[in-house]
Amino acid sequence: MTNNKIMFTNKTKSLFLSSVVVLSMASCGDKHNDPGTEFAANMYHSVGYEPLSQTEGDTNHINPYGMNMRLPVKGTVPRQYYEQAIKKDSIDGDLLQMDLVARNIKSGDMASSEALLTNPFEPTEANIEAGKLQYERYCIHCHGEAGKGDGAVAKIYKGVPVYSSDALKNLNDGHIYHTITHGKGRMWAHGSQISSADRWKIVLYVHQLQQAP
Amino acid sequence: MKRLKIVALTAVLSFVASVVSVKAQDAAEGEQIFKNNCAACHATSDEVLVGPGLKGISGRRPIDWIVKWVHNPQAVIASGDKYAVDLYNKYNKAQMTAYPNLSEAQIKGVIAYIDAQAAPVAAAATGAAPATGAAPAEGSSNGGMMQYIMIALLLVMVLVLVALLSIVSSLSKLANVSPDSPEAQQIPLFQRIAENGKKIATNSAFKTGAALLITLLIGKATIDAAYGVGIHQGYAPEQPIQFSHKLHAGQYQINCNYCHTGVYKGKGANIPSANICMNCHNAIKRESPEIQKIYRSLEKDEPIQWVRVHNLPDLAYFNHAQHTNVGGLECTNCHGEIAKMEVVQQRSTLTMGWCIDCHRKTDVNAKGNAYYDKLVELHNKDHKETLKVQNIGGLECSKCHY
Repeated sequence: MTNNKIMFTNKTKSLFLSSVVVLSMASCGDKHNDPGTEFAANMYHSVGYEPLSQTEGDTNHINPYGMNMRLPVKGTVPRQYYEQAIKKDSIDGDLLQMDLVARNIKSGDMASSEALLTNPFEPTEANIEAGKLQYERYCIHCHGEAGKGDGAVAKIYKGVPVYSSDALKNLNDGHIYHTITHGKGRMWAHGSQISSADRWKIVLYVHQLQQAP
Repeated sequence: MKRLKIVALTAVLSFVASVVSVKAQDAAEGEQIFKNNCAACHATSDEVLVGPGLKGISGRRPIDWIVKWVHNPQAVIASGDKYAVDLYNKYNKAQMTAYPNLSEAQIKGVIAYIDAQAAPVAAAATGAAPATGAAPAEGSSNGGMMQYIMIALLLVMVLVLVALLSIVSSLSKLANVSPDSPEAQQIPLFQRIAENGKKIATNSAFKTGAALLITLLIGKATIDAAYGVGIHQGYAPEQPIQFSHKLHAGQYQINCNYCHTGVYKGKGANIPSANICMNCHNAIKRESPEIQKIYRSLEKDEPIQWVRVHNLPDLAYFNHAQHTNVGGLECTNCHGEIAKMEVVQQRSTLTMGWCIDCHRKTDVNAKGNAYYDKLVELHNKDHKETLKVQNIGGLECSKCHY
């Protein structure tokens, strides 16, 4: 009987101990920095080069810093609308034509942009609405809802102008496009973030804000 | 006292006004002109924005010169005027915009406004001081958080102690010895616990119960751990730069798309490169050690190695544009309230069940999209319910797994 009793208490002890170990393992540990256990890693990690993949062990050995993305070759122009450009009356064609002109204008050459660039998009309601959408995504935090330079960021960035001011209210397509693409004054270049089509649509909406009282 | 202040203020104002000899209504018009045309680059104080602060400009330069300058700064510089050339060189050769349409009276009005602003500047400055002083205090909020955690821990410990004591008393009752009886009082506490524990350990009902409970606990822990395999929910890795989405997306209301440029156009939302940070941080918070990490990265031409938070397994295909641009879903739908997160955390499970659940419930965003017109028409012929994602193949295996 006594023997039996000791055996049982030993069992309970070991059970108790193991449960404590399991529970502490489950509850502790650096959860924030640890993504957790992965099963079948070869189905989780891409074999092909995904643009933003970040896997330890099989980083890219060809590119610097193990990155899968590379910068485009200097001086090259993306020609994603190449086929449409041959057809004359398509918007993509007009856009590409204008893009080729714009890409040849240096960042300091505002005068050429003013003289050579015109908006390939017509100021239709749909286009202006699309421009407004892009304006709200890329511009509004500095330039403000009505282009008065009163966005949330403008208060600390400073020097954000009013579109309807005497100096800006008559600026043309090319000037605004050049400003978005290469920056002007305190504003830095946004050409890398916004596609040229979206930039032209923003120009349409900015024209509307220039005329606002 | 108040009256005295007002008298003093009006005296100063009237003095200023008499010096420039312009009426108050001109200053009001001047304010309008200043805010519309000048405020972007010039402050009415000493502060340098793009150009110099204009406080005391009426004392610095003669009015004729100012008018000439405003009408055509380029010509003044070209004429070899020493002050103009120095100014031009001092401010990085940034050309001021010419305002040939402003009349001399209007320019005088602007100057009157600037001088009027200069008077109450002292009061405004003292008012602004505590606001700037409050900023560093915000950084120490982490320490405050730690205190709360410590207090909470202490509370939990006290609760555990209370629970243990109550267990002891109930065990004593079980052992049929009244804890209040004189003989029980004489035995030391730990001895009592040990004795009662021994008595209880021989109770077979208790033994079975305890064994069952422990087995269940271990079983639950095992199942939980097994279900957690491959699920990163709650993953909030430390980033190389302590970037706060709460500040950028929350307080400053910068659209997600401004930095995550691919989110409406491509498969991935994209992590911004340093040049996008620089669009604002060329001017904002330049002294911060965290911001200087951006400058270092640019100087060395080294990418900032942000840690990816949402790692969808490669076995499942996911495309951002299809969900945001076509489906019209908000970012918060899957990512949670990013605008309130100091450190971004994976909020959703990103399991297949989670995807499928949404595909079952969600209507296709067919409005204004001609691609879906015929599908909607066909669907509405046979079904009363609206067209859901599952009806256009949202549950097909090969949609995401191929």
